Amino acid sequence: MKGKVAMIISVGCTAFILSMVMFTQFKTVEKTDITAIETMRETELRAELANWKQKYEEIEEKIDERNEKIVEYKSELESGADQSNVLENEIKEAEGYLGYTDLKGEGIIVTLQDNENKSIDYSDLLTLVNELNSAGAEAISINDERIVSRSEITLINNTFIFVNDKKIAGPYVVKAIGDKKYLESALTIKGGYIDLLENEEKTVTYSVDDNIIVIAYDKRPSLKYAREYSESKE
Amino acid sequence: MDNKLKIAILLGIMCLFLSAGIAIQIKTVSNSSTTVGKTLVENELRDSVLRWKQKYENAYETLETKEDELNELRDNVSSKDNNYSGLSNRLYNYNLLLGNTEVIGKGLIITLEDGDSSIIKGFATDYIVHDGDILEIVNSLKNAGAEAISVNGQRIINNTGITCAGNVILINGEKIGAPFVIRAIGAPNSLYSGVKIPGGYLELVEKGGVQVKIEQVDKETIVIPKYEGVYKFKYASIYE
Repeated sequence: MKGKVAMIISVGCTAFILSMVMFTQFKTVEKTDITAIETMRETELRAELANWKQKYEEIEEKIDERNEKIVEYKSELESGADQSNVLENEIKEAEGYLGYTDLKGEGIIVTLQDNENKSIDYSDLLTLVNELNSAGAEAISINDERIVSRSEITLINNTFIFVNDKKIAGPYVVKAIGDKKYLESALTIKGGYIDLLENEEKTVTYSVDDNIIVIAYDKRPSLKYAREYSESKE
Repeated sequence: MDNKLKIAILLGIMCLFLSAGIAIQIKTVSNSSTTVGKTLVENELRDSVLRWKQKYENAYETLETKEDELNELRDNVSSKDNNYSGLSNRLYNYNLLLGNTEVIGKGLIITLEDGDSSIIKGFATDYIVHDGDILEIVNSLKNAGAEAISVNGQRIINNTGITCAGNVILINGEKIGAPFVIRAIGAPNSLYSGVKIPGGYLELVEKGGVQVKIEQVDKETIVIPKYEGVYKFKYASIYE
């Protein structure tokens, strides 16, 4: 009888201790179950890492470019040439980016036209330009009005569409130079720009081309309000 | 005999429970055993993020010094010949226009923030700031003569795209999130009336429930950073 009691007690004790251990274990496991957030963090971190890498590479590219120019300038200065071809080339290049020159290249031509039911809205053009830019377009024009950084596309008096302060009328021919395949797929993707316009029953056609000419911006704006910011001057 | 059977059954049941418990535990633990690995990977990732950031910052400084050196060389080259004295100045102005320079001036600051969903009863799509909203507001600022515009530090240039990717907005390929701060340099009055016109886009957005704050800045205190990307033509060439 005594032996039995002792056995029951000892078995009971062991069982109790075991279950205690198990409970504490369950608790720890529960605590580490924030893995959902943890994995989210990891993907976020990966995105962040890719972002910094890309930024670094971009800046390295810029540095390389500057270094090349520095070497060119130095050799020019040493040779004692009367005029600076390097500077002239730099100016030419900058004029290209500013939209002051005609450009040629592959790309896409999108034509928007009013039809019996629906007319083209200024925002259709604004969205199109934005879509093309997002797809890496290098130069865009609407009815030969070059889109530069200060170009606006607005509705005046609820009737006329103005681009670069000039009235334009349909059909609206939007030319964009860039990777023609990429530009095309960006617009024709399911639920993309062309789908949306067609759902609204608007008339839109496009064609890709290897030789698109986007003509130059005809204004030469100057800055009146913005000037270079350098901390030393403040 | 009766007692022995009882004890045996009791022990048997206990053992069953215990082993079941242990089996469950082993499964749970093996599921979450990656946790330890995850934190390790994460810490490594965190480290490399910091390392790359540091690398970027160092490279940025190098770029600044190169830029200064280059500007000096341009001045040298163009001051050698009278015919060229204006050239480096011209390039300087071009870079200002291209957004390759950090600029300061007076103008307007617009802040857009998603509406408070607990207060507004309308549709979520109305009180959340969309890429299209920013596109429209930037467009109206251009129309009002803004000379330089940035959205959350991203300079708007001629081929800036504003798109959405999930719940963030991409500008120049960079992720930005709310609140959206749009800075514009130009004539403060024109910019203000340009975006504040009755029936204008900003009014529409505000009616939808988006929190809009407009600050007209008449002192030259608005700083707009330069474009961080690189101008490069891959497909376009000058047509003569």
